[in-house]
Amino acid sequence: MNTAQYYLDTFRTTMQDIKAVTQTALSKGGDFADLYFEYTTYFNLLLKDGVVSSGGFHTDYGVGIRVLKGEKTGYAYSENTRLDDMISAAKAASVIACCEAKSNRYSPVPDRRLDLYPMGRNWRDMSADSFLPFLKSLETKMFHRDNRIVKVIVRLSDSVSDVMMYNSLGELTFETRPMGSITVTAVFQHNGKTENNTASRSFRTGAELVSDEIADLLAEEVVRDMDARFEALRPEGGQMSVVMGAGASGILLHEAMGHAFEADFNRKGQSIFSGKMGKRVCPEGVNVVDDGTLLNNRGSGNYDDEGVPGQKTYMVTDGILTSYLHDRISASYYGVPSTGNGRRENFRYNPIPRMRATYMESGTADPEGIISSVSHGIYVDQFSNGQVKIGEGDFTFFVKSGYLIENGRLTAPIKDINVIGNGPQALSDIVAVGNDLKIDNGTWTCGKEQSVPVSCGMPTVLVKNLIIGGE
Amino acid sequence: MITENEINIARKCIELSLQKGADSARISLNKSVSDSITILNGQTDKISHAADRSMYFYIFSQGKYGTFSTNRIEDDDIESFVENAIKMVRLLGEDACRRLPEKERTASDAVTGTELGLYDENYREDGSQSRMERAQRLSAWDRHPASINKAYDIISEECEYTESYDDTFLIDSQGFEGRHTETCFSAFTEITISDSKGNKYSGFWWENTPFYDRLDIDGISGTALKRAVSQIDPKRRRGGKYRMVVDSGTASRLVSPIITALNASSIQQKMSFLDGSAGRKVFSEGFSLMDMARTPGKAGSRLYDTEGVATKDTAIIEKGVVKQYFVNTYMSHKMGIEPTVEDISRPCLVPYIKGEDLSNTEKEVSLKDILKLCGNGIYVTGFNGGNCNPVTGDFSYGVEGFAFSRGKITHPVREMLITGNIIELWNSLVAVGSDARECSRWQIPTLAFEGVSFSA
Repeated sequence: MNTAQYYLDTFRTTMQDIKAVTQTALSKGGDFADLYFEYTTYFNLLLKDGVVSSGGFHTDYGVGIRVLKGEKTGYAYSENTRLDDMISAAKAASVIACCEAKSNRYSPVPDRRLDLYPMGRNWRDMSADSFLPFLKSLETKMFHRDNRIVKVIVRLSDSVSDVMMYNSLGELTFETRPMGSITVTAVFQHNGKTENNTASRSFRTGAELVSDEIADLLAEEVVRDMDARFEALRPEGGQMSVVMGAGASGILLHEAMGHAFEADFNRKGQSIFSGKMGKRVCPEGVNVVDDGTLLNNRGSGNYDDEGVPGQKTYMVTDGILTSYLHDRISASYYGVPSTGNGRRENFRYNPIPRMRATYMESGTADPEGIISSVSHGIYVDQFSNGQVKIGEGDFTFFVKSGYLIENGRLTAPIKDINVIGNGPQALSDIVAVGNDLKIDNGTWTCGKEQSVPVSCGMPTVLVKNLIIGGE
Repeated sequence: MITENEINIARKCIELSLQKGADSARISLNKSVSDSITILNGQTDKISHAADRSMYFYIFSQGKYGTFSTNRIEDDDIESFVENAIKMVRLLGEDACRRLPEKERTASDAVTGTELGLYDENYREDGSQSRMERAQRLSAWDRHPASINKAYDIISEECEYTESYDDTFLIDSQGFEGRHTETCFSAFTEITISDSKGNKYSGFWWENTPFYDRLDIDGISGTALKRAVSQIDPKRRRGGKYRMVVDSGTASRLVSPIITALNASSIQQKMSFLDGSAGRKVFSEGFSLMDMARTPGKAGSRLYDTEGVATKDTAIIEKGVVKQYFVNTYMSHKMGIEPTVEDISRPCLVPYIKGEDLSNTEKEVSLKDILKLCGNGIYVTGFNGGNCNPVTGDFSYGVEGFAFSRGKITHPVREMLITGNIIELWNSLVAVGSDARECSRWQIPTLAFEGVSFSA
């Protein structure tokens, strides 16, 4: 782990300057101020048509300065860390304190040093040519696995962020956050039909991610079930039972329910879960979790972007709403400790409550038994393009692939349909939860105002009465 | 604004790239400032100031290509940044199709950045007082009319007022230099209400314009409230085939899959349902899509694309016939076809009513006209999730909106989906309005289609 001095050197600043900037930020009467320093290097390679013919690197550097007065926010940033520029940004952010507002108390948070993403090989030490054989071999593996493949695109991208945070409570935290992602897309042609499929993996880890094992895993995943995809049809639409497959179905949990647990929506009264703390929102036995402590997980953080240590938070415990997802503002508003969900895209944005790895814990049902209990419905293993209306709770999700369930058995493959429903209603309509929780480690990115990396997971779950759009 | 010093840095970086071994290079220098104020329930909730500056390098060396960027453009280490970029490019695979566009295709008329009239001299970076006054005027928290019969309560009103400018300087090693500068003044309100049963509904509305004096702030919050209230007590409608009228505020969702499919990159990767469509009549005769890239003073207008290639006002689809793909320099060489521009700038649809000849008239076609023309059906005011398969054009979207009968809106509908194929949908076109929202870059007006499959 790097020392405080490494980060001070990286950001070409001193504790004295940082304290002076913080003082300026509070000079108009703010309750709390914090500084978020970030230096990120990005790197990417793209293989297309058999050649790694595109790639590059990018650097981003700056400091974001936030002032809070009550729950009100003043925010400004500087793309360099010269003292006069930081002071100038601090003055711009300090203006919020001139607005009429009650004061809030912001309390220190006990430090708890985690080490959730050790880097074996630092991405910054790697040269592009060390990855070229991997990209080529992944492409070759793909073509060998399925002779219907006509195009392969492979993307490798990584980033390493040095982050240092300081606030007016005197808390100084720092860490280095790696991220590596590999995405492969293949286009298949067969009997005049064209289909495509994509698989990805993304982890907070070092360059050891690039391995034969992950190449085999991705290649296998892209070609899996393509026979079914070519045969897939749109089913007849209507209201029916839906079995969500373990893993990637967790994105439905994230979109349709997860956002409504974020405390900013609740503080403003906009969420469907506003005022429902302590009330039953799911059947007994259902636990819904947002976890920032999974080793190497894309959504994990040793600290969130307000310097609060990573945590595991139960929003729903045995069917009862037990917590919202808090940043420092909402924690102060509700008088509870922050859950470590204050996250931001980069130093240009102020932190807001965001999910990390959101999943439903395993239940007791046998997944095969869940399917066999459905006389007429659909089984979905891949969702995409979800959207939710926070206030109403209405959601829509596109089914990339799945199967009809007829008399308890998976029958015809289906595709290109939507599932529509209402989040809280769907939660209360859960009939069975499987014992097979799976975290999906794809390149999930949540886009609430800002983009942040997340992940999701689900066991096999049966929901009665969702609407399926079909022929 | 980009300074002369910053322009000189970009010029020097081009020279530096060539000195360090690039065969050719392009640099995009981008600078922007944005100030926004959020008002929550009548009170100032957030004030933010953003000032960005970055430089993008597009390096071509020994038939190889890479892109690089940094926001530390005045650092001493910019030289080593360029050196490392070229080193990395040389490690990549050779692809002779990667080149700068031919010089004669690049724009020569984007000198000051203000030629298209998108920069308002009234923009003031230090106008914090005026911004605060406007933000407060945007909020109608204390002025919303009382709900009749207590049909609803307003839970929250969130308003955001933003002023920004963007300045871009593009330069390449063939001598092209182009500049584009624009200001934007925008206002947005979202209101959440609850009805007497505690059900929540939200509605939003927005306006934006390049010009300070043309932003009509008053009424935005009122419209957002009306949109929220109009959704109270939605009814389930039986699934089936209906006429569908799509509101101008949301109709671009049905055009964007077509724009994507017309991109040569999608076609080359066999990911387009419009592969092989050039010169063919694919859509209804009523579907004419123009790229009005050079309309002065209008959002989305630009004199050159991201490669510096000069734009022009041109037909993309004319009476259902595909007239043009979007072909950048790379795809042009790779596919052996004529280059055009990288992407559409300002898509505009030509008004149409099935069975009528509008070609020599200035007739306005409004939402009201189209609802009357269609008689009965579903009026879609928003899309909620869904997707269009890029290979087949098969789509499924969640929709929200209203049922209408005899040309009049009757009640809101809930939990409905539409499914179909985008080519077939555009062949069932009944009408295209002339009511595209002035503030949108995509000038897509009210649309009407017949025989659309709704599920519920």
